[in-house]
Amino acid sequence: MRFIFLTLLTAILVIFLNAVAPYWMVMIGIAFLTALLSPNGIGGFMGGGLGMGLTWLGQCIYLEVITGSSLPDYMGKLMGVGTGITLVAATGLMGFLLGAFSGWTGVLFRKMFLREPEDLYRG
Amino acid sequence: MKYFSFFLILAITTVLAIAVSMPFGQIPPLAPLLDPYHGFWQNTISEDQLAAAEIDLDNLSAAVEVIYDQNLIPHIFAENEEDLYRAQGYVTAQHRLWQMEFQTMAAAGRISEIVGPVAIELDRMTRRKGLAYGAELGLKHLQEKDPETLALIEAYSDGVNQYITELKDAKLPVEYKILNYRPEPWTAFKSLLLLKYMSDMLVGDRDLEFTNLRQILGVAKLNKLFPDFPTAMDPIIESERIWDFVPITVIKPDSISYPDDSLILKPLTQPEKGTGSNNWAVAGRKTKNGNPILANDPHLSLNLPSLWFAMQLSTPTNSVKGATLPGALGIISGFNRDIAWGVTNATRDTRDWYKITFKDASRTSYKYGAEWKQADVRIEEIKVKGQPAFIDTVIYTHYGPVVYDQSFRGDRQDENFALKWTVHMGSNEQKTFLQMNKAKNHNDYNRALDDYAAPAQNFVFASKSGDIGMRVQGKFPLKWPGQGKFLMDGADPRMEWQGFIPNDQNPNTLNPERGFVSSANQHPTDSTYPYYGFDNSYEHYRNRRLNGRLREMEQITVEDMMALQFDDYNLQASEALPVLIQLLGTYKAEIPEADKYLQELKSWDLYAAPSQKGQTLYSIWSSEVFESVWRELQANAAPVVRPTNFQTIELMTNSPSDSTFDVVSIDGFETAEYHVRVGFDSLLVAMTKWEAEEGDYSWANYKKTSIQHLVPNFKSFSESNVYTGGGSGMLNATGSRHGASWRMVVELGPEVQAFGVYPGGQSGNPGSRFYNNLIPIWAKGEYLNFKLRGVQNQDDILFQTTLK
Repeated sequence: MRFIFLTLLTAILVIFLNAVAPYWMVMIGIAFLTALLSPNGIGGFMGGGLGMGLTWLGQCIYLEVITGSSLPDYMGKLMGVGTGITLVAATGLMGFLLGAFSGWTGVLFRKMFLREPEDLYRG
Repeated sequence: MKYFSFFLILAITTVLAIAVSMPFGQIPPLAPLLDPYHGFWQNTISEDQLAAAEIDLDNLSAAVEVIYDQNLIPHIFAENEEDLYRAQGYVTAQHRLWQMEFQTMAAAGRISEIVGPVAIELDRMTRRKGLAYGAELGLKHLQEKDPETLALIEAYSDGVNQYITELKDAKLPVEYKILNYRPEPWTAFKSLLLLKYMSDMLVGDRDLEFTNLRQILGVAKLNKLFPDFPTAMDPIIESERIWDFVPITVIKPDSISYPDDSLILKPLTQPEKGTGSNNWAVAGRKTKNGNPILANDPHLSLNLPSLWFAMQLSTPTNSVKGATLPGALGIISGFNRDIAWGVTNATRDTRDWYKITFKDASRTSYKYGAEWKQADVRIEEIKVKGQPAFIDTVIYTHYGPVVYDQSFRGDRQDENFALKWTVHMGSNEQKTFLQMNKAKNHNDYNRALDDYAAPAQNFVFASKSGDIGMRVQGKFPLKWPGQGKFLMDGADPRMEWQGFIPNDQNPNTLNPERGFVSSANQHPTDSTYPYYGFDNSYEHYRNRRLNGRLREMEQITVEDMMALQFDDYNLQASEALPVLIQLLGTYKAEIPEADKYLQELKSWDLYAAPSQKGQTLYSIWSSEVFESVWRELQANAAPVVRPTNFQTIELMTNSPSDSTFDVVSIDGFETAEYHVRVGFDSLLVAMTKWEAEEGDYSWANYKKTSIQHLVPNFKSFSESNVYTGGGSGMLNATGSRHGASWRMVVELGPEVQAFGVYPGGQSGNPGSRFYNNLIPIWAKGEYLNFKLRGVQNQDDILFQTTLK
């Protein structure tokens, strides 16, 4: 549940913050968001990754649909990766990686401040 | 452990974030480029989807309306000129910022800053030619003599800079994103530099090649193969023109001694082959409606974003419309409610070379007559992307910069060649266009042209009042016959230019008896004109076809003029092909393929329509024949220029057994017939290969017209294989990489009717639907309606923006 919540909040963060700020500020935002929501490690990684990756992917597809522009195909050829579809996928993947590592960093950041119980019997 | 985990993942995340923000070699930073909110994805949005009803623009005295028509052509309505040009700067930057900056960086020799060390040689060349030096002198000229024009240029710069200041990453032109740099502030200097860039694009010289030719051929043969006035000549100013002024006397020195070096230097880049233009105007008595009609189509390299940007510029007292040059003020080729004008390149040798004799290796002083003159030194710091700056030291003499020396393309210490060029003299071309935009009659047109120096242009003119005219305008040096054709001795003061031809004695005509004026880069006058003017690149076919058609045409309509701009009759082929076929005789007639090609040539109607095969065959055959004729001449180590195709054809026609055709390296005596056969053999080889690899050899498929992005590596931003006819030497001079960069036809009736088109689109953004949308229209010879609009006219508008 917390993972889904994190994914949704990350997507909302990307939509609003990325519109006015560069990607690296969004990464910092995701790290703080993840630290705040406190999912586990894999949850932070996947939640941050999917939240940013899917939003970037969705934004590319949205722009492709509303503009009908040939630019993605031009860029695909220019970068030697074929068509614009490849760039859509590359953008989604890039967003996922940036968001995922930011999320993971946020989880570990919070863990640093959690005090481990000292009275546990460890055998 | 938890600390270690955090710092490890933090480090990985940080490295990832930094890695994707950095360029690797030629690969731009990936994350900023792919970021869908700021990267190239934002450039997929067309201008109409970004339209704003209001935009804040500082320093305006009143609101400015900008109305875009369906093709994204802005019509700017301002209350005064300063507001008008401020808005022009802003609007041009909105659509063409990267292009205008890139072109001025090229003119300033700063391409290495963008692309790295690969451009150092190019930048050195540009700087050594002194384009920036010329623009500095132009700016000084404005500061001292024309502060009014300078104020308007600064208003334009302010408009550009306000756009740059507010430019968000998302809206940054995609080329900046790929090449990973940002625009810098625009200045008046850059606008002047752009006009120098045009000079560089349009002006060439062959002094070094002719110096070599004089030694190789001797003076007599040189004059025979390169006559000043060829036999079939139809000059720009009609031959009937009487020169009713007293010319300035130009004294030729008694004995002339040219440096006799053999110049094994790589000459400067020449204007791209095919660069030229047509313009003409017909008097009302030759037109169906009784109104003068003017047409202009400048032929330049076909590039994207297009060199031109269409606009209407209106104040309460004037409305002018046509093609602008992004970065320069006003309309360059266009019309207003009273007049229309257009330009073609007035090819003329206004660049001369002087051999400089320095006193010693320090090159601080050079010989001039009996004295030693002091030289200046200009340090050129060429910044290089990813490397330390390259420092070039350029020596300046009173002639101009020493372009060639031991550190640049020269092998020997005594090879120091200075360039004298009218571009290095303070001038005010911008004022010409500002005045022309407001001209009401022929007197205004003449006054506007008085400020124009370079690149020399043939300015065609027509007015609603019924006048038509032509003036060849530039700053033309006074030279004795032959002066400037060869490298001259800079130590001999007698080699100096002897002043300049007065403006009112430049070739011109008004309302000639024949009822039309025209130019197509041919000789400006016949031999009766009292001044010497030489150029190696005068055109020999378009002018004769054009004048021939205009002489016979009556009841002319705008549609007739459009058809004439798109005319692809090959006059050269009409003169050369019968000679080639006759000289070929029955050679290889027994080979079926040879016979097939020959029959196709014989049945060809001599028009270079896109589907024609005869044009392809003629193009290959004739070029192979010319190549064969001049192969030995061009095999010299020293660079030379070969005689024109016109001269070659004339020689083949009238003197097929001339000694020129003999190939020294082959036993016996070869005639023109030999070269025709060699050319035909080459044609067969070329066609066999072509048919095997490509199949269809129709003209459009063979010539493969392409409209290339300004960065040649950006191939996907270019248009390839545009299906269109025409070619070099034809009125529709559309070759593979050059052609009509702008076509305009204007009828000056009670209400001006105007039509125009260019091969590109109004947007400089490759992602916009307006980037290349005009190409199919242009390729078919069709036009857009370019009628003047009123501010109240809301028909067919794309969107409207108020600047305030």
